[in-house]
Amino acid sequence: MTRGIRYFLTGSALVVFLGLGTGLIAYYNGGLPIGPRAANGDLTFVPADASAVAFADVRAIMASDFRQKLRQVLPTGEELAKFRDELGVDIERDIDTVTAAYLGGQSAPEGGVVIVRGRFNTAQIETLATQHGAVAEDYKGMRLLSMATGDTTATHHAVATVAFLNAGSLALGEASAVKKAIDANASGDDVRKNAEMMNLINDVTSTGNAWVVGRFDAMTNQAGVPAEIMNHLPPVNLFAASVHVNGGLNGMVRAEARDDKAAEQLRDVVRGALAAGKLMTGQNPKMDAMLNSLQITGSGKTVGLTFALPSELLELLNGVAAAHQLGNGTGGVIHK
Amino acid sequence: MTDAPRPSASPSFMYAASRVFELSIGEMLWSRRTVFMGLVVGFPVLAAIVLRLLSSLGVAPITVNNHGVDGPVIFGLMIWIFFVRISVPVLGVFYGTSLIADEVEDKTITYLFSRPIPRGAVLVGKYLAYLACTTFVILPAVVIVWLLMIPMGGSLGASFIDLTKDLVLLAIGLAVYGALFALAGAALKRPLLSGLVFVLGWEQIAMILPGYLRQLTVAHYLQGMVPHAMPSNTPLSLIQGMFREVPSLSESLISLGLIMVVSLWLAARTVTRKEYVLEQ
Repeated sequence: MTRGIRYFLTGSALVVFLGLGTGLIAYYNGGLPIGPRAANGDLTFVPADASAVAFADVRAIMASDFRQKLRQVLPTGEELAKFRDELGVDIERDIDTVTAAYLGGQSAPEGGVVIVRGRFNTAQIETLATQHGAVAEDYKGMRLLSMATGDTTATHHAVATVAFLNAGSLALGEASAVKKAIDANASGDDVRKNAEMMNLINDVTSTGNAWVVGRFDAMTNQAGVPAEIMNHLPPVNLFAASVHVNGGLNGMVRAEARDDKAAEQLRDVVRGALAAGKLMTGQNPKMDAMLNSLQITGSGKTVGLTFALPSELLELLNGVAAAHQLGNGTGGVIHK
Repeated sequence: MTDAPRPSASPSFMYAASRVFELSIGEMLWSRRTVFMGLVVGFPVLAAIVLRLLSSLGVAPITVNNHGVDGPVIFGLMIWIFFVRISVPVLGVFYGTSLIADEVEDKTITYLFSRPIPRGAVLVGKYLAYLACTTFVILPAVVIVWLLMIPMGGSLGASFIDLTKDLVLLAIGLAVYGALFALAGAALKRPLLSGLVFVLGWEQIAMILPGYLRQLTVAHYLQGMVPHAMPSNTPLSLIQGMFREVPSLSESLISLGLIMVVSLWLAARTVTRKEYVLEQ
């Protein structure tokens, strides 16, 4: 073997080993839950055993072009004005972020807790709540306003609770869920200790201004997906979805299948659905553009689907809504 | 005083194969085929460099409806399109079929066969030289593309396991295609044409047909191990995706191993038994 051949083989091997070495170091460093991108203080109120966590940067979404276009399509609603007048909270301006967690076990409203960060007039909220029969109490140094809802004669009736966590942050939910959130914060046993969930959260936080991650089984059980459908779906452990709201809507949905084979089956299901969708949309260029934006991604056990809802599609929806209003003779104002 | 090998003693099969390997690897690396291999493998590297430069300038290199596609997705597509579907089968065809056919065409096979070594060792030695030559070119290229593409919105650590899978399956693909086309080169009169028909014709058709025909391809087992999502950018890929059946990892490995061993054994047997007639 000549010297030139030896140099060539050594050089090639060196490139491969350097690449693998870099990857190996990155693999072990990346696996450690250090320096999380989701340095979101509200996560300290999410218990470690939460089945799902969701987040929305309300301020960014409200300021987006997408929201402006959506306002043209959707009615403004009197409820929002009533909410603003009575509580002194303008959802569009006073709320910065919303973090929600589903704790599992019970039905979604009862097993969920929502942490809202923004600017609130706590005195006005407390006065209004107590006028409506709410009872104030302190729990681990935090102010709670609780009010029974639904059938109050039942043994286990729901108790809606608002907790003022700290300056500019409050929690909403059923009393037990809110107290569990406060306990998680006090004990430090919060979702940041759940490495599996935090890996997902760290992955999605940079991909959009709204996201949700969670255990797939807990969510499908809660959603009441028929067993017939579940039996035909490949086994999925975790899921994540995120959207970036700006001029249009870009997003991704990701599922962590049980193994590589299940992931490939899931990709086949998605691919088949996309093919069917493309066949059904026919010559509609707008829908075709949207379907073409759907891209299957992911590798190994990960199956992903990215999508983009262009602003043109919103304008199309706006046109449909306007035509619908004219057809009904409701006399609504057509925004354009 | 050293013991010199007795001239009458014929070397062992493996020793003979290693001698042929040393002789052949130099010939293979510094040949015109290397230019072809450089083009096949250099294109994805060049594409990766251009995409990375565009990305560093703040331009999304690939967009779908104004939505930039991340580096890991592009890397997955490159593995599928450039390496699994093109580089590996095409290099297997060009190099594998030439192992014996070139010696016949150059009328130099007589010199090899007149040596006191098993004929099968000539083929195995040349096959090992092909394998070293191609893997030592393809694998570094994949690593370079990976290092360039993944940081564009992805994590090197998160995609490390997939990279190792990619490297292993590409090496397996080169070994299997090489063995199969070494058999074609030893047994057929026009092996290159037959090889191209197999790779670009038969495998493409069989892979989109529902049923069992795909099991008579190498691509079925090799593509089943690719850890990245299969691209659905063309109607052919879409149809292939719809009828795709992914064999299990063990099924893929056993099938590919069988194809490689049986092909190589048959090729060595053919070379040992066949009388090559050199055209004057």
